[in-house]
Amino acid sequence: MKRDPQTVCIVMIEDDEGHARLIEKNIRRAGVTNEIIPFTDGTSALAYLFGADGSGQASAGRAHLILLDLNLPDMTGVDILAKVKANPHTKRFPVVVLTTTDDRQEIQRCYDLGANVYITKPVNYESFANAIRQLGLFFSVIQLPEAEA
Amino acid sequence: MPVSSTTVTRRTLLMLLAGALTLLAIVAMSGWLAESTRRYSQAVARMTEIRVVAGNLLSQLQDAEIGQRGYLLTGDRHYLQPYENARNAVGGTVARLRRVNEGEAGTAGVVDRIGSLAVAKLEELEQTIALSEAGRKDEALAIVRTDRGMRLMDEARRSLADLIGQADAQLDAQVTAMGEQASLSRWVATLGTLFILLVVGGAVGIVLRYTRELVQAQRAIQILNGTLEQRVSERTVDLQRANDEIQRFAYIVSHDLRAPLVNVMGFTSEFQEGLASVRAHLDRQPAEQDDAVASEAKRAMAEDLPEAIGFIRASTTKMDRLINAILTLSRQGRRTLTPEPVSMQELLENTVASVRHQASELRCAIDVASPLPSLVSDRLALEQIFGNLIDNAVKYLDPVRPGRISVRGRADGNGLVFEVADNGRGIAPQDRERIFELFRRAGVQDRPGEGIGLAHVRALVRRLQGDVTVDSTPGQGSVFRITLPKILTLSPETPAHEA
Repeated sequence: MKRDPQTVCIVMIEDDEGHARLIEKNIRRAGVTNEIIPFTDGTSALAYLFGADGSGQASAGRAHLILLDLNLPDMTGVDILAKVKANPHTKRFPVVVLTTTDDRQEIQRCYDLGANVYITKPVNYESFANAIRQLGLFFSVIQLPEAEA
Repeated sequence: MPVSSTTVTRRTLLMLLAGALTLLAIVAMSGWLAESTRRYSQAVARMTEIRVVAGNLLSQLQDAEIGQRGYLLTGDRHYLQPYENARNAVGGTVARLRRVNEGEAGTAGVVDRIGSLAVAKLEELEQTIALSEAGRKDEALAIVRTDRGMRLMDEARRSLADLIGQADAQLDAQVTAMGEQASLSRWVATLGTLFILLVVGGAVGIVLRYTRELVQAQRAIQILNGTLEQRVSERTVDLQRANDEIQRFAYIVSHDLRAPLVNVMGFTSEFQEGLASVRAHLDRQPAEQDDAVASEAKRAMAEDLPEAIGFIRASTTKMDRLINAILTLSRQGRRTLTPEPVSMQELLENTVASVRHQASELRCAIDVASPLPSLVSDRLALEQIFGNLIDNAVKYLDPVRPGRISVRGRADGNGLVFEVADNGRGIAPQDRERIFELFRRAGVQDRPGEGIGLAHVRALVRRLQGDVTVDSTPGQGSVFRITLPKILTLSPETPAHEA
């Protein structure tokens, strides 16, 4: 992440801790050193992104990249995506949907809602590790928008 | 109480028969009465004739007497005219009287007597007239004075009255009999009419009741029909819902199973990498003799742990394939079917062409019958169905003989029947249902596979509103038979699913 990479946090919303760990390991292997903030459910992730009042003011001035799983225990990731893209303070955060679902309709819906990337988790671990490592490399080259003051 | 149609028919017929018999009786009665009336009118005519003829005879006899008296008094022959006329007529009149009374019992004697009285009277008159003509007027008068003539006349009068009286009595008897008959007929007619009315009324009643019951039954059937359609559509919706539920279930389950599998595989890899680094480290350690622990650790590192990891990997890979199979099936179930005209000849020849290379290596001949009927259905589903069947036929050939696979099809009633026949190893009877179940296989397990193909085939065929069955002789071959509708029509209740 070109623009002052150290200030960009990766918000990882992933209910499966094993997956979260594997993702983190493989992103690190790609040389990404940014802080990764993990959440295992939608409620706590929303609380972090939009603050206690839910206004999104909490995210003003932050630079985040969101890694989002769609299958969460308390809500679907699609709802989180919709909320993030609808809030003025969070709408420019790049959202990478990383999930097991390869349903065509689901993919379309996510892009319609403003998802920036949609990745289906490969079931085979080698492919999975490879995909995450490439994602990490991708993170290191993409340009992120300025954080709003 | 419901009335069966045969009972109604029988009852109605019986009643009509009774009515007809009654009518017949009334008709017979009338005939009898008519006959009786005819006889009565005959009797009346005869009576009238007897009266007339008797009257005539009496007046002729009197005329004759008048003529005799006049002649005897005057001696003038001119007065004899009535006598002459009467004498000529009496014979005819008596004959007529006899004719009228012919065949009547009990009157012959009277008529004979009247006849002889008339003859005697005329003789007496003739005698007196003859004496008078001969100038023996006194002798003639003397005969008159004997009163014989008068007695004869009186007797004739009485006899004629007798005759009339008898005829009268007969007429009376006839009238009485006829009156009795008439009243009997009237009774019969009245009762008969009443009975007929009753019978007809009963028959009409039965028919009306039967008709009413028919109408009620028809209405009940209509209502049942209406609710039946409703029930069927409700049931269809239920089934549809259950089916959707199962599809969704399969989809969700396979998805949720995938996530832990990624972890198992992922951490196994991590473990393997960690193992590799530990092993590299151990290998660098100088080998110490007699160190049992170290050699044990090295052996575990080199053999046991890689073997364990290998089993974990093999199992997870297999599980992954199974989950993928379920996913494919459920996705197939959710795919929208698009019916289009499909040439089965082309489709099957293409399918066979794709396995021909493999088949020729196995010395297997595949022939596709021609011509094959075409249909309107989902092309992709058909390709998958026949692809699987032909693949299976090639896969399970019996190595002891050259393979022969034939694909054929024909129209059958409203549908089409396609057959994929082989001379392969065959399927045991107890396995013929099992092979269509998911993850189930039959026979010697010497070929790769997950037991998915035929489950997939059956799911697809059913979606195409067809059916698949198998006939087989173990050791000789199998015939997979697929029936399909000529034209696949998707019902509007079946909402299309996007996969």
